[in-house]
Amino acid sequence: MYQYLEEELDLLKTKVIKMGSLVEEQLEFAVKSLFEGNLEMGKIVIERDSKVDKYDVKIDKLCQKIFALTQPVAVDLRLIMSALKINNDLERMGDIAVNIAERAEPLANNIDLLKRVQLDIMAEKVMTVVQKAIDSFVNNDHEIALSVIKSDDIIDEMDRTIFYKLIDEMTKDSSLVNAGAHSISLLRHLERLADHSTNIAEEVIFLVDAKIIKHKNNLDNLDIKSEEII
Amino acid sequence: MQNIKIETEKLSLFYGKVQALNNISLNIEEKKITALIGPSGCGKSTYLRTLNRMNDLIPDVNITGTVKIDGIDIYGKKIDVVKLRRRVGMVFQKSNAFPKTVYDNVAYGPKINGVKSKKMLDEIVETSLKRAAIWDEVKDRLNEFAYSLSGGQQQRICIARALAVNPEIILMDEPASALDPISTSKIEELIFELKKSITIVIVTHNLQQAARVSDFCAFFLSGEIIEFDPTRKMFMSPKDERTQNYITGKFG
Repeated sequence: MYQYLEEELDLLKTKVIKMGSLVEEQLEFAVKSLFEGNLEMGKIVIERDSKVDKYDVKIDKLCQKIFALTQPVAVDLRLIMSALKINNDLERMGDIAVNIAERAEPLANNIDLLKRVQLDIMAEKVMTVVQKAIDSFVNNDHEIALSVIKSDDIIDEMDRTIFYKLIDEMTKDSSLVNAGAHSISLLRHLERLADHSTNIAEEVIFLVDAKIIKHKNNLDNLDIKSEEII
Repeated sequence: MQNIKIETEKLSLFYGKVQALNNISLNIEEKKITALIGPSGCGKSTYLRTLNRMNDLIPDVNITGTVKIDGIDIYGKKIDVVKLRRRVGMVFQKSNAFPKTVYDNVAYGPKINGVKSKKMLDEIVETSLKRAAIWDEVKDRLNEFAYSLSGGQQQRICIARALAVNPEIILMDEPASALDPISTSKIEELIFELKKSITIVIVTHNLQQAARVSDFCAFFLSGEIIEFDPTRKMFMSPKDERTQNYITGKFG
């Protein structure tokens, strides 16, 4: 019986990892399409979103099946619970990739504005956070997960700074209002990506340490020695 | 833990030269359900039987350490074993109804304890059958042979029989392992109801059952307690890898 469960859990983990890789690639393409003005890449992102959605449904169904047939406990139960939640976050991140890709066209002539307010630097940092969050799940790595959680404050700070820079740009030059509005929307999307990455990292802590640290609960009790990643 | 009903300290038990329990220290809380889990031969049933001295009946058994109920050592010299077993009732894996009527099965304990009044016996039988959640099914069949009932019903008759002498503790040794899912669920509901007034210690091989009904759970392996914790904790995040391997089905 356990062999059956083990096979199902392996399959589940593999599916979540594959979905994670796909979402990561979607985001990379979306960011490139935006900052390099490569609209073709943006199109690929929009078209491939249905593939992310399919993973979402498949993972949900697999979790239902494992719950119904095997009544998992302990680390097995935690894996399924975290897979369900990570699946949810990844699906949302996939949608954000589409939203970012959709900004490529309206912002194609304002790439210099994005770089002036350092949205490109923020995007790069967010991509690192996303990759690390997925890595922490792949390797059950508690340390990387903690460093992802720690990085969220840096992203939040960048979010605030860039927001005011954009306001400033728009105040000085009203022809930038349209691009500025799209940029603020982009800024929100990037900030949300870091939040979803934090959620994934929190699920990894739950999976590995059986501790619930959502909403920064119990975070003080955890020994955070991890290096900064961004 | 708030109120400890049973306190076991450094309990070891030998069947001849074979050691079945090794240095068991375990506290069991009053009016809670404590499940004992572990693979076959791990000592959980042996431990259960030490709590009402059922092992005394087996020749060549040697016990060291202490078992206290309400702070009193039940292996002390002045202990009346019959009185002890009245306080600490037992329900076995296979229902062992007496070859008597339903009524006489339940009235047996009170009768040998000196209750003679028919009115009082009627009352005890009715109350016990109600507490064992079987009154509605047998109230019109009290004079039928207990053997004519289904396995699940017979098991609840045995529980009613145990309840008839008002025990403070009930030990259950796989009480539902021979029953179908519906009878099992009736027994589990009954166990849940009983813990309002009784301390229950249950041995079970059915891990889902332990997870469903118990408040605390002790994992036995090779005569030792590997882990003892609130059930929720044990099934969500066991401390010991051996516990994790057992409850997830990796061995056992």
